[in-house]
Amino acid sequence: MLSTEARQRILEENEAAARELRERFEHEGTLVVDLISAPGSGKTALLEETARRLGRRLRLGCVVGDVATERDAARLAAAGLPTRQIVTGGACHLDARVVRDAVDAAHFGPLDVLFVENVGNLVCPAAYALGEDFKIVLLSVTEGQDKPFKYPGIFSRAKVALVTKADLLPYVHFDVAVARDEIQVLNGEARVLLLSSTSGVGMDAWCDLLLEQFEAKRGLAPTP
Amino acid sequence: MHELSVATALLERCENLDAEPGATRVARVRVAVGELSSVDPELLRLAWEALVADGPHRGARLEVDWCPARQTCAACGEVRERQPGTWLRLCPNCGAPLRVAGGDELDLLQVEFAGPGESLATEESRC
Repeated sequence: MLSTEARQRILEENEAAARELRERFEHEGTLVVDLISAPGSGKTALLEETARRLGRRLRLGCVVGDVATERDAARLAAAGLPTRQIVTGGACHLDARVVRDAVDAAHFGPLDVLFVENVGNLVCPAAYALGEDFKIVLLSVTEGQDKPFKYPGIFSRAKVALVTKADLLPYVHFDVAVARDEIQVLNGEARVLLLSSTSGVGMDAWCDLLLEQFEAKRGLAPTP
Repeated sequence: MHELSVATALLERCENLDAEPGATRVARVRVAVGELSSVDPELLRLAWEALVADGPHRGARLEVDWCPARQTCAACGEVRERQPGTWLRLCPNCGAPLRVAGGDELDLLQVEFAGPGESLATEESRC
């Protein structure tokens, strides 16, 4: 019987692929964000509205993962956001390899910001690095203020938390302060924004955050 | 549920290690799974057992070291009062905000290999 002790990450193959992607995006000066949420929290609607507001100012691209259909890619393309759909056929999360293959196939050209819209799922996507600069978690006001502690994996990891569908606050029991407090307990540095893609509230702050992060990223990229 | 993907990656990690010729069968694997890793230890065990049920590593045991996250205070250090699955809002000692640390382990720690005919029961009795 031979025993080998060698501490290594179980997902090292994915993490190595993610590191390669990250280096590539660093070289190209592309800000990459991974959007994670439960199904129906408003990821696609957010990206549609973001593309309308920033699409003339920044070169945007998107890869979107779904278990089935290309509906999201169709919506985003109609909003003017170049998008490549990944149909996972059952996988509940994206990994670095499928993101890399999608980006290669998309031929976006030079991008300022690449959005990765993950499969709707608050659990599994948190475990997979995709070469992103940071993960963003969305939580809609219809989902309940107690979700952060129920999903500590993603809420402790995401650098930005977006509380979405703020226009519905008058109709639901959702205490924004309670949700914000839970998020900050899990990640004291997380930036929490309240917004609505429908009414526009909070969208300026969201776009400002993206611009600020893009400019910070570009400051590190080599001069072309 | 992605535990099958994780179990598959784990088996690949094991098979990539430099086992000696004649002892390439995985007999026992020890892993660390953190509270915040988004992996459920029991589901991982089930997925592992399904994965190795047919094939060269049949009977390979998976042992999981579950690692809780910690909450720490910059002034007072680790908060011992914290129970896994719950979160304190402020340091019970000085009232300062706390920081979450650890809990994101998802690591292969140790692999035991055996020869094709070697009995796995022998290794257990030695323990």
